Amino acid sequence: MVQAAAASSAPVQKVSLLRVLGPAHVWALGVGIVLVGEYTGWNFAADKGGTLAALIICWVIGLLYTSVAMIDSEVTSTVAAAGGQYAQAKHIVGPLMAFNVALYLVFAYTMLEVSNAILIADTIKAYAGDGFGDWHYRGAIATVIVVLATLNYRGVLMTLNVNFVITAIAYLAIIVLFFSVQPWSQGAVLKLGEMVTPENALPYGWIGVIAGFHWGIWYYLGIEGTTQAAEEVRSPARSLPYGTMAGMITLLIGASLTWYICASLMPWQYLGFTYYPLLDAGKLTGSKTLETMMFIATILAAVASANGCINDAARAWFSLGRDRYLPTWFSAVHPKYRTPYRSILFLLPIALAFAFIANLGQAITFSILSGVLHYTFMSVNIIMFRNKWPLGTIRRGYTHPFHPLPAVVLFVLCVVTYFAIFLGYGAQLTAMVVFYIIMSVWFHFYRYRYVKRGDQFTMPWPKPRGY
Amino acid sequence: MAKYTPPDQSRAMQWIDIIFVVAAIFLALWLPLQAGWAGVSRAIEKIENPTWELLGQTPVQVEQWVKLGFADAAAAHDIIQNKFDYTIDWLQLLIMTVVIVGYFVFLFRASDKEYREVIDEKFNGK
Amino acid sequence: MWITVVNIGWAVSAALVLWMVYDWFKVDTSYSEETLTSSREGEIEATSEKHKL
Repeated sequence: MVQAAAASSAPVQKVSLLRVLGPAHVWALGVGIVLVGEYTGWNFAADKGGTLAALIICWVIGLLYTSVAMIDSEVTSTVAAAGGQYAQAKHIVGPLMAFNVALYLVFAYTMLEVSNAILIADTIKAYAGDGFGDWHYRGAIATVIVVLATLNYRGVLMTLNVNFVITAIAYLAIIVLFFSVQPWSQGAVLKLGEMVTPENALPYGWIGVIAGFHWGIWYYLGIEGTTQAAEEVRSPARSLPYGTMAGMITLLIGASLTWYICASLMPWQYLGFTYYPLLDAGKLTGSKTLETMMFIATILAAVASANGCINDAARAWFSLGRDRYLPTWFSAVHPKYRTPYRSILFLLPIALAFAFIANLGQAITFSILSGVLHYTFMSVNIIMFRNKWPLGTIRRGYTHPFHPLPAVVLFVLCVVTYFAIFLGYGAQLTAMVVFYIIMSVWFHFYRYRYVKRGDQFTMPWPKPRGY
Repeated sequence: MAKYTPPDQSRAMQWIDIIFVVAAIFLALWLPLQAGWAGVSRAIEKIENPTWELLGQTPVQVEQWVKLGFADAAAAHDIIQNKFDYTIDWLQLLIMTVVIVGYFVFLFRASDKEYREVIDEKFNGK
Repeated sequence: MWITVVNIGWAVSAALVLWMVYDWFKVDTSYSEETLTSSREGEIEATSEKHKL
């Protein structure tokens, strides 16, 4: 833990993260984290605004995330480093912003991991019957978090191979369910016209639609996590945009199918209440096979998500250590498994502690809050990126079209989402931002003195315009 | 510009930094739970002796409720009548807006100051 | 059935935590801190991606 710049002349054996991943892994990381949102969470948008609101939000928030994916692909195909948006912020906006972005990432992913573990425990509890007490509930949480942390500890390739398989199964389950309910003939199983009527489509009117934005985020939250793998992807400039965009398309289709199935089977009040809309949809078909399939798929989706979250949170924490934003101790790479093992171990008890004390709704809200702060940053970030290094001054792996339209759309939707969170969770949002203010003041006036200045800028780029 | 050399940080101080960060994270997550801020402004609008009709459910919807395990209207009452209150508290909205805008203004300004030093050392120091 | 599964889960979790802590200790004592923290951002980037046009 010696911080001094010990300029020893003896060559030190180097260890770094392994570059082994392809586009399929990027897809598995992105979709894996997000897909659980179709299995739980998005439906609370129906609670806040009705079933039709959930559909409107599905597509409007889909637009927000398409902007996120486009912007992110451009920047990250150019700044390919572990930490993803953290490294972007450091090169484009500045160190304090980067510190905050890393905290957003760690918060969003750790809380999402916690939500997943709670969801799995809740699902099992619902099926376990009598005798399933607190000890067993916590056992389910602990097993999920510890087993996945071990998987992450032992190597990124295996971790994401597993994620690819279970994500694909969970996604296929939605497709199978969709075709089993005869979507082509309304009235046979699906009763959209009966469930969503003109009277109950928007029970709170348009304010309910706005309020629903809060949970609409959950349809896609985490797709931007693909960039965390940047340092471990064989060809980041190609794989990251490809994997992220493919992931976004997958999710847009999955979200629309999910809405169609659930909206056609459940009264909106129940849809906004249940923790497992897809599992309930399976149950409502009356087929035991479909119900079992959706039960397994719910758990697999949550496992895939928790797995990806551990991966991403650890990468962000690791990057903070590497730049001395936090003690360098965290920047250690395992010489055999080539993973940021200390960060993984450090975040493990934190996740466990929260999974034991928080409940699902709260954990999800914390995750969403950090996500929205993060997207606000991204909309400004891309404008600064194009200003400081206009097209043609550096090589970009991917250039997104219609600039600055996606950035403006993203920014406007973020503002709307703040307002949506305010409707119900205003005090929590304010408290959260106060936390980030305290951390920022701490970093800017104290911690930053331990950071080497010029060394933070690691990209082989020319000097930014205007400096 | 002269290259900035950060001071050494003792092992004990590194630990204190880590503890500070972890404590702050726990406080930020735990305090709102404890203070009850995490709650949502909603209330159950009670209907005495509810029937499915009074709760506004059509026969087809009732069929689905029953399949989901709600035998009668009383069982579903608390779910159906749990309504949000979207009255806007302008003072709270104002406070929230000031906090968020203030946060981002500080964030971008302080970042820019630090960023100029980084660029200076990286590109002009040579 | 789930109760048995979860009880096994507890045991497995405990074993895995012990193994990770053991492995952590072993790695930290058999490699120098300099080697372990030698990863630098953008190192591979600098050799494989050219940003000059």
